[in-house]
Amino acid sequence: MLNQVRESSVLPEEKAGQWVKSGMTIAIGEPAPMGLLRWIIRNKITDLTVIGSGLALDYLIAGGCVRKVITYYAGSPDIAVMPAFRSEAENGTLEVWECEEGILTSGLEAAGKGLPFMPWRGGVGTSLPDINADLKVIRDPIGGEVLIAVPAINIDITLLHASISDSYGNVQHCRGTGWLDMFLYRAADRVIVQVEKIVSNEEIRSKPWETTISNADAIVLSPYGAHPFYSRGYYVQDQEHIRDYLEAITTAYSDGNRDKKDGYFEKHCNQFQSHAEYLDAIGTRHLISLSEY
Amino acid sequence: MSFPATIKEVMAVVLSRELEDGDHLQVGVALPVPEVAVRLAHIMHGPNMQLIFLGGRMNVHHLESIPLPDFGWDSRSVRWAESYSDRGHRFDQVKAWHKRVFFVGGLQVDKFGNINLIGIGNDPTKLKFRGPASVGTPTLTTHVGRYYIVLNNHSSRVLVPKCDYVSAVGWHEGGANSRKELGIPGGGPKLCVTPLCVMDFTEVEKRMRLVSLHPGVTLDDVKANTGFELVIPDIIPTTLVPTEDELTTLRTRVDLNGLLRSG
Repeated sequence: MLNQVRESSVLPEEKAGQWVKSGMTIAIGEPAPMGLLRWIIRNKITDLTVIGSGLALDYLIAGGCVRKVITYYAGSPDIAVMPAFRSEAENGTLEVWECEEGILTSGLEAAGKGLPFMPWRGGVGTSLPDINADLKVIRDPIGGEVLIAVPAINIDITLLHASISDSYGNVQHCRGTGWLDMFLYRAADRVIVQVEKIVSNEEIRSKPWETTISNADAIVLSPYGAHPFYSRGYYVQDQEHIRDYLEAITTAYSDGNRDKKDGYFEKHCNQFQSHAEYLDAIGTRHLISLSEY
Repeated sequence: MSFPATIKEVMAVVLSRELEDGDHLQVGVALPVPEVAVRLAHIMHGPNMQLIFLGGRMNVHHLESIPLPDFGWDSRSVRWAESYSDRGHRFDQVKAWHKRVFFVGGLQVDKFGNINLIGIGNDPTKLKFRGPASVGTPTLTTHVGRYYIVLNNHSSRVLVPKCDYVSAVGWHEGGANSRKELGIPGGGPKLCVTPLCVMDFTEVEKRMRLVSLHPGVTLDDVKANTGFELVIPDIIPTTLVPTEDELTTLRTRVDLNGLLRSG
């Protein structure tokens, strides 16, 4: 007999995590899907090409998972240049696909729209096409203007963190999606969204205009899953934890001391079998103190 | 106020006087001097200004104080915003960017106002100093009506004859038509403000020119710390220091934690 039950997209973290294979191109949105990133580090996935920015990207680089980054910004208000990104790029162990915000979004848009490239003006006259041979300076066939052709940036799997979803992958971001989330979703073959809460299908139906992503390939329940970073409407970033990361990773790289780096990840990531164990270690009291406002 | 303004406060006031009511002001990340400048201008003479930061837009002229956000990359940075364009529309209305004013820093800046945020070194795959990358500066500086280069330090390592790499084109290789010839429409860099002085660009060649020296700074200080030959005018005024009203407003209604008073 035909199975007449609508399929759930909810997967345990390890099941969804196993989709990510070494060598793939993945993207990380904002808020940062840290639960999944910790799974990737713990399971020693390597040689990834990663589209992302901010300290979540640095965390994955420091964790030893990244071969190449596609990023427009590798700094943060906390530090001029992120430590793992900086050291690995200077050593030549990390490849950087040099771009900027408009170029990146153009490449993602081209992928989402099934086009080979998208033209963009920002970057004309700069060193970007000299450094990044994938960017082609072209003359537009309509008016003859000089522009940059940005090739489609296709993604194997996009990893996002959002507020709520039902069990069928209808996702609703709280207070809008992050800057790149929708671009990253549209450019990807598959999307895994970790959420603060799984709600009923009726709740989603009561406000369908708030659905930002329908049919996500996998939903992972991950309350506080963006920690130590923020999740809109839920919690703010854990400044103390971020400072510790920056200090530990900066010293590990400047001393050339691998053990220090491994020690950091052992303590904050690898020793835990699950996201729940990680949260236990952070502690309820501390998590509550991060409640938004 | 009895004690004098710090250099950073002088820089912020110089910038705030440049801003006109109705401007749309966008400040990049980690630039406290322009962050203070736009808020000060908004309070003092800009009821119709729009402040744009990380996708949020706000007009908070009605508020008694407009403190700087004391947190980094967080949803709280859009507090007071009237709209939030992070849904992927941040770069979708460049048509309207002639009203927009942008502020940018750099690892290197050359005499034509070209900026490098990529890094230092001959081999781009193995830079001696890897910078934070170009952020959105290539697109913003291509389209905005005008922008200001703001440097945290004035040294010959920053102000160089030629940038190792160019993230954002200023006046390219010089000349008032240089941007037009490249096909980039915006108004280009207007001033370069540093802890030593204020500089602009000459009308024809678009070479960087000294405008005024901050109090206590000599022409020799500037020459010794600039890696290229600046255009020096016959008369060099001292940068106008903040008025008592400006400084009081800056300290009591914007920079409540004294970010520009330290260091």
